[in-house]
Amino acid sequence: MSKRFGGIAALDGVDLQVQPGEIVGLLGPNGAGKSTLFNVICGYLKPDGGGISLDGEDVGHLLPYERVAAGLGRTFQHVRLFRNLTVYENLVVAQHRHLSGGSFSAMLRLPAWRRDERRARERVEAMLDVVNLRPWRDRYPTQLSYGTLRFLELASVLSLEPRVLLLDEPASGIAQKEVEALGPLLTRVRDEQGCALVLIEHDMRLLLSVSERVYALDFGAVIAEGTPDEVVSNDRVLESYLGRTRRAG
Amino acid sequence: MAVAVDAPPRNPEAEPRAPSATEGSGRRTRLIGLGLLGLLALLPIPFGDFGFFAGQYALVYAMLGLSVTVVTGYAGLISLMPYSFAGIGAMITGLAMASWGWPFWLAILLGALATIPFSVLVGVASIRLKGLYLAIATLTMANALGETFFQWGDVTGGNTGWLISRPRVGPIDFASDRMFYGLCLAVVLLLLWMVEGLRTSRTGRAMLAVRDNELEAQALGINVYKTKLVALVIGGMIAAIGGGFLAALLLNPTPSAFRPPFAEVTSILLITLVSIGGIDRALGAFFGAIALVIQQQVFQGAEFFFAFFGIYTGFTVILFLMFRPGGLIQIGKLQLALIRERPVLGIAVTVAIVGLNVGIAWLVLSLS
Amino acid sequence: MTSSAPVIEVTVFGLSAGAVFGLLALGLVLIYRTTGVLNFAHWAIGLLSMVGYALLAKTGMPPALAAVLSLGVAVFFGALAYRLVFRRLNRANQLIVILVSIGLATLLSSLAQMILGFEAFTAIPPWLPVDDLRIGRVNVRSTEIFTAVTAIVVAFGFLVWFRASRTGRALRAVAQNREAAALAGIDEVRHSTIAWGIGSALAGLALLMVLPHSGGEQGAVITTFDLTPFGTLLIPAFGAALVGGLVNLPMALAGGFMFGLARELLVLAPKPWSDMRASIAAVLIVVLLLLRTERFFATRQELEALEL
Repeated sequence: MSKRFGGIAALDGVDLQVQPGEIVGLLGPNGAGKSTLFNVICGYLKPDGGGISLDGEDVGHLLPYERVAAGLGRTFQHVRLFRNLTVYENLVVAQHRHLSGGSFSAMLRLPAWRRDERRARERVEAMLDVVNLRPWRDRYPTQLSYGTLRFLELASVLSLEPRVLLLDEPASGIAQKEVEALGPLLTRVRDEQGCALVLIEHDMRLLLSVSERVYALDFGAVIAEGTPDEVVSNDRVLESYLGRTRRAG
Repeated sequence: MAVAVDAPPRNPEAEPRAPSATEGSGRRTRLIGLGLLGLLALLPIPFGDFGFFAGQYALVYAMLGLSVTVVTGYAGLISLMPYSFAGIGAMITGLAMASWGWPFWLAILLGALATIPFSVLVGVASIRLKGLYLAIATLTMANALGETFFQWGDVTGGNTGWLISRPRVGPIDFASDRMFYGLCLAVVLLLLWMVEGLRTSRTGRAMLAVRDNELEAQALGINVYKTKLVALVIGGMIAAIGGGFLAALLLNPTPSAFRPPFAEVTSILLITLVSIGGIDRALGAFFGAIALVIQQQVFQGAEFFFAFFGIYTGFTVILFLMFRPGGLIQIGKLQLALIRERPVLGIAVTVAIVGLNVGIAWLVLSLS
Repeated sequence: MTSSAPVIEVTVFGLSAGAVFGLLALGLVLIYRTTGVLNFAHWAIGLLSMVGYALLAKTGMPPALAAVLSLGVAVFFGALAYRLVFRRLNRANQLIVILVSIGLATLLSSLAQMILGFEAFTAIPPWLPVDDLRIGRVNVRSTEIFTAVTAIVVAFGFLVWFRASRTGRALRAVAQNREAAALAGIDEVRHSTIAWGIGSALAGLALLMVLPHSGGEQGAVITTFDLTPFGTLLIPAFGAALVGGLVNLPMALAGGFMFGLARELLVLAPKPWSDMRASIAAVLIVVLLLLRTERFFATRQELEALEL
């Protein structure tokens, strides 16, 4: 799987390639263009140059919701869920891609609808156990802690069965203990689902421990690429994080 | 995998949020709802002919209310023109029956189909327009339709409208008020069943998701545009069916009811009352309908009551939207839960609420 | 040359109708900009002014005093609506906000109805001089000229005040960025209440201006069976506000005149066009919506502030 892209002022000739099942990390200071990159990949922003392809197929012309059907999933920096729906219902909504029922068969309660509903229920019940959300099945998001909300968001996006999962700062805002659990969880997700992960994260420990390859961005361009160890010891990367103090001194 | 440790969940009753279709939980509440419906259905009997006449109106308004449930309650679209869609249904049904001699059911179907281009128009508008712009657009459209479509003699049968008759199904003639009431009741129950079924379906949930958080819905692969369009088309068709039955109720549907300002006023009143009933539950449309019929038909001659009803309704809807957005249905559910857990308190609160309303009604009656 | 008289008459009439729309639109925009609420009850608050005036004027009070006091009624209800209701609503949930303002419209218009009573109100003394004037070949009513002039003067005064005064600047700050304004020490609640008060006063003035037109020299007439037709004022008012992208005040006023003129000038147009009088507002609104006028007038910051 490869994704090639380049061109916006916020993103200058960024070339990103992700192999199937790979875990790729993106690091860089604030404003480096990481979230912008995600927005372009997902289709919320139009690139001025370059293209995006998934498994060799060009997906650049697809609308955001169509890219989901093509296998792209994403979480956001600030958790976005459906506040008026319970955890269970949130997950059922996430099954949208896998169901087929139309409104006609729903309103007349035809067998097709029944089958759909049963399938949805089975899958959601299974997912509840996978992500360990069963105790909160009938609760509303406002009643959950931020960490649990993160898990719910992850569960939702996993329900899509994406081939590539973009995670935008999954560890932000959650307690240290939970961050430590996140690493193994992400690896497990990759192992069980077979999807590739692209991870934006400021928590260095998490990013470096989980990623197999890392890209470093600054000012919208890739300044380094390689294994976590290589990138972390790269001079330019250190400079971008520590500022330009060296030059001054 | 480590499980996140949660803070203890807060009391769900304290949340001013509409409860949604908690699937499989409402067996008892569903039975109670059905029981209430049954009672309501029998309500007109002691009131004789007037009762059945008002009852028919209530049922027709319930159909219109169901349209609001789908468009606004499920999909969250602020359409201020449901009554105009009903008008299209009424006029086309009248036209087809009186001018072309079509049978009732076919005419109603045509009326429903006739709303589709308008629904699509609103749907197209809704992708480009944020919520409040859509509200302005639909209000304007209701006004414009009233000044144009409902002034065309070819469609409306002139100012005197059309003259139609109530349907016959085989040997059964639905001409009498009682029979027509029964027919309306059957149709309303069918529509209620269908709209409620829509809620626990892929499309219905997509609508609820779009209403709640459009961006997240998109991120989960939902085609937001199509979802809104489907909601509008279904809503438009249901409203048109209601309009067709309204035409048959009146036997002489005239376009004046669908011209400004009455069309907009009724649409707004309808939306307000369905909000009180519970905008995102099909049953909520029922309460809205009954309230509307009380205001319009029962209080028609009595301006004082009419005005008072407006004050009472406006006040109630604001309170509900602020604290209990799920309307009477949410309140009903909460009360039932309260009665189950703490029977004494629960019954006391219920009696207090009912008593307050009865007291207000008595006060108003004695002041007039 | 002989045909210019009706043009002038119609123009004056259009300007006076447009004055009403413009004032309503000014109030709508002020309230929307500052608090993010599109107030569907705007006309109903104005209605309470009108009803207040009708009652006060009948008591024999000097009409000018009655007019001023009745504006106070609008201010009161507008401020109250904000403090009690809209302040507590999450402005991001547009559906609820609009449903609430619609409910408020029902409440206040019914209240106005109730207060007014149920017999036809006649012979309300006018607060503007009502004379038929004749200038050259042109017949106009003095109320029309006064309406247009008063609206322009009041609007102009308001716009100047809004630009120049501290309160005006504070209101603009709140509109642009609530958090920053709060950090700068500006009391958001107080200023939002002011915005609602002034906006509602403008609505009250607009509805008061409608009064002198509805009757002859003996004064205005209100038939009370239904005050709801006044609600249709909302549509051209929204349209006028849209001319300014819902955020620009001077354009809202100009938009009001535009809608008024468009409607009245069509009377003079040849047959197929003149039938469009009733729906011209709708057509203009569709065009304005398609143009997405807010792009021209709202800064990115303001747009974000309104979305959040």
